[in-house]
Amino acid sequence: MSDKTEVNLTGVKQSKGLWLVKVPKYLSLQWDKATEKGDVGKITIGKKQGKTEVHFSLNEELTAVGAAGEQDASLQVPREHPFTMHTVGGQTMAVFSQSNADEISLEGMVVHRAECRPAVNDNYMKLKKLQIKASTKPQRLSQQLERAVTTVFKPVANHDFNVEHEKKKKSEGKMVRAEWQVVLDMLFSAFEKHQYYNIKDLVDITKQPVTYLKEIMREIGTYNSKGPHKSTWELKPEYRHYQAAEEEEMQKA
Amino acid sequence: MTSLGGSSSSATEYTVRVPKNTSKKYNIMAFNSGDRVNCSTWTQARMERDMSARRIYGEEESAEGAAGSEFGKKQREEARRKKYGIVTREFKVEDQPWILKVNGKAGKRFKGLKKGGVTENASYYIFTQCPDGAFEAFPVHGWYNFTPQAKHRTLTAEEAEEEWGRRNKVVNHFSIMLQRRFREQERGGDDDDDENEKSGKKKKKGGGRGADLRIHDLEEDLEMSSDDSDSSMGDDAEGKTKAKKATGKGKAKKKRKSSDKEALEDSDDGDYEGLEVDYMSDESSNSDEELEKGKPSKGEHHPKGIDEASESEEESEEEKQNEEEAKEEEEEEEGKKTPVQTEKKKKKDSSGESESSDDSDIEGETASALFLKKRTPPKRGGRGSAGSSRTGSRPGTPSIDSASTSNTLRAAASKLEQGKRPTPGPSTDSPAAKRLKMEPSSQSPVPSGKSTPQPPSGKSTPSSSDVQLTEEAVRRYLIRKPMTTKDLLKKFQTKRTGLSSEQTVNVLAQILKRLNPERKNVNDKMHFYLTE
Repeated sequence: MSDKTEVNLTGVKQSKGLWLVKVPKYLSLQWDKATEKGDVGKITIGKKQGKTEVHFSLNEELTAVGAAGEQDASLQVPREHPFTMHTVGGQTMAVFSQSNADEISLEGMVVHRAECRPAVNDNYMKLKKLQIKASTKPQRLSQQLERAVTTVFKPVANHDFNVEHEKKKKSEGKMVRAEWQVVLDMLFSAFEKHQYYNIKDLVDITKQPVTYLKEIMREIGTYNSKGPHKSTWELKPEYRHYQAAEEEEMQKA
Repeated sequence: MTSLGGSSSSATEYTVRVPKNTSKKYNIMAFNSGDRVNCSTWTQARMERDMSARRIYGEEESAEGAAGSEFGKKQREEARRKKYGIVTREFKVEDQPWILKVNGKAGKRFKGLKKGGVTENASYYIFTQCPDGAFEAFPVHGWYNFTPQAKHRTLTAEEAEEEWGRRNKVVNHFSIMLQRRFREQERGGDDDDDENEKSGKKKKKGGGRGADLRIHDLEEDLEMSSDDSDSSMGDDAEGKTKAKKATGKGKAKKKRKSSDKEALEDSDDGDYEGLEVDYMSDESSNSDEELEKGKPSKGEHHPKGIDEASESEEESEEEKQNEEEAKEEEEEEEGKKTPVQTEKKKKKDSSGESESSDDSDIEGETASALFLKKRTPPKRGGRGSAGSSRTGSRPGTPSIDSASTSNTLRAAASKLEQGKRPTPGPSTDSPAAKRLKMEPSSQSPVPSGKSTPQPPSGKSTPSSSDVQLTEEAVRRYLIRKPMTTKDLLKKFQTKRTGLSSEQTVNVLAQILKRLNPERKNVNDKMHFYLTE
C-alpha cells in the first residue's frame, strides 16, 4: 500500500467556488489546439431581466477544424456557446488535484454546474452530420479480393525452418558424454538456481545424452511423478540445502 | 478583463484560459448530499489508494530461483494461458479506489470509487476565477464517488439471512450485534487455538457430560477473552473466572452462550444455550461431591447471584430467558438431556421469579465452575426461601447428604424421615403403620445416621415409637379388658417392637408371670384380666 498522502486543504479553506462545466468533445479538441498562453475565448456574465446569463465565445483562430492554420469554410466550429447553469443539488462536489509527485490537494468546492451548449445554426448542423457519418462507419471492413492469394502454401521440398534445423544439428554434432564429475558439477550449479527441472531442460543445459543424464540423475536426484511439480527432477535431500526453503520449513514446523 | 460599457445589460466579460503546462491532474470528489459532508470543517485529511485488489490480480509468485522454483516456469505458465485464451486484466493503479480519512483516526472514513465513462463523450472542465478576473479551465481527469464507510459492525450476508429467518422470534435486537462482536473477539483472540477449541468443544458437547464440559467451555471463553492459549482444567478455570467476573458477568454469560453456539451443530438458536452450561452441573455434581462438600456456601450465592444480577442488569435477558425456556423445552422434546433440562427448567422458573436479593454476592467470588457444579444442590436449599412452590417444599437445610439424591426414592424416604423426626411420640396406629412401612422401603437411612424408629431392644431405651413390650403396657391392656394371649401378642406386633416372635412370646410370658392376672374363660378361650 502506498503511503498516505496528507491532503492539502488550503483550497477548501479559502472557499474558492468552482464551476464544473461540461464541454462538448469537439470544443475541447479545439481548446487543445490553443497557443501556449492558453487563451481560448471569452466568457460574458450578464443579467438579463433578472436572470444570470453566461455566454462563451470562442476565439476566432480556434474555429477551424482540421490542421492549425487552415481555414476551411465548410468545417467551422460554432463560436457562440451559451452556458446552462445548474445548482449543485444532490451532490456535494469537491475538486482534488494530484500532482506528478503524488501530492494531493483539495482545490475547492463546486458551486455551479454548467453545460456548454453551442448556439444552434446551420454550420453546427453540418458539423454534426459529418460527425455522425464518421461514427457510424464500422471499424472493421470486409473487402472483396479480385484474385485469390497464391503467395503462401506452395509445396516445398524442404521447409526453411527444417533446413535450418538440420544444419544446426549437423554443426553441433551428437552429444558426447562428458566426465561424470564434470556433469555432476554442471547439474549442481543448475540446481542451485532452481529446485525442479524437466529432463529436457537438463539435457539442454548439460548437452548430455538423455540416457547418460538419467543415470546420473537417478543417483543424485529423485523424480516427482505427482504433486505440484509434476514430472520434474530434483536433488535428493542430502544433496540440497536451500536457505529459503529451510527457513520456511522451520517456520511451518 | 474587459468590461463592456453600459448599453443593454450589465455584463462583464472575462477571458477564458486553458493552461497547457499544468502538472496537476484534476479530479472530482463527489459526495452524496445526504451525507452532509462539509469540507470546510475538515482539519486534517489523508488519502491513499486502496490496493487490496492487487492480491487478486497479481499472481502469487512462487519462490523465484533456488528453492521451490521450476526451470522455465514463467514461460510455461504464459504459454499455457495463451493456449487457453485466458486474458487477465491488468491491475491499474489509476483505477483503484481511494480511501479518504478525515480528521484522523476518530474521524470519518470514505471510499471513493472511480466512475467510468466520464471522459468518453464529453469533457468536463473546472472553471476557476483567477485574481485577475480571468477564468482558467482545467480538464477533469477522473471522477470519484465518495461514500462514507460504516464504522459500526455489520452483519455479513449469511448472518443477515440467518437473522432474517429469526426475525419473528427475536425480540431483543441489540443482542444480535453484541454476540457477533463477541464471536469476532473470540476468533480474533485465538487464531491458532480456535480450531482446536472448536473441535474440542464439539467433542465435549457431543460426548461426555462430566464436569469437563463446563470447565472447558468456560475456559475457552476465558482464554479467548484473555488471549490465553493454555487450557488446563480446574484451577485455571477458577482463576480465570475470577478475573472475568471483574470484567462483567453479563459478558461472561453471553460469551458462554456464544461459544456454545459455535460448538453446537444441531441447534439454530445457539444464543441461549450458554445457560445450558450452568445446568449441566446437575449431572456432573455426582462426580464431584468432594468439591461440592467443600464449598457449599459460596456455591449457594453464585448461581443465584449471577443469574439475578445479570437479569437485573439487563431486562432483555429475561425475555431471552423466556425464549430460552421455550427453546429448551423444544430441545427437551428432542430428547437431549432430559434430567438436566427438567432441572434447568425448574431453576429457570425460580430464577425468573426471584429477582432482587443476592445481587452483590456475585462479584469477586470463586470459580464459577465450582459454583456451576454446586448449583443444583445448594440451590435447592437456598431457594427454599425464594417462594417457588417446588423449592419451598424442600427442607430448609442444605442437605449435603442429599447430594446423592438423584435417586428419588431415597430422597423421598429421607425427607419423610426428616419430617417425622421432630414429631415423636404420638402412638396412634396410622403414623406408626406408615413409619413401619417406610423403614423397609428406605434404603439408606442408616449410614446417614437416622436411626430407626424403634430400638432393637424392646424394653430398655425409650424411642420415638409408641409400642413397647413392657409390663406397664400389658397391665394397661389387661385392666381395660380381658384378653387372650393371642390378643396380647397382636398388640405387640413384632414389627413394632422390633423383637422376633419368639422373643415376644418369652417376654410376654415373663410379664404375665409377674403380673399374675386372673383368668376367665370366655367362649372357650382363656382370657386374662386384671382388676385395679
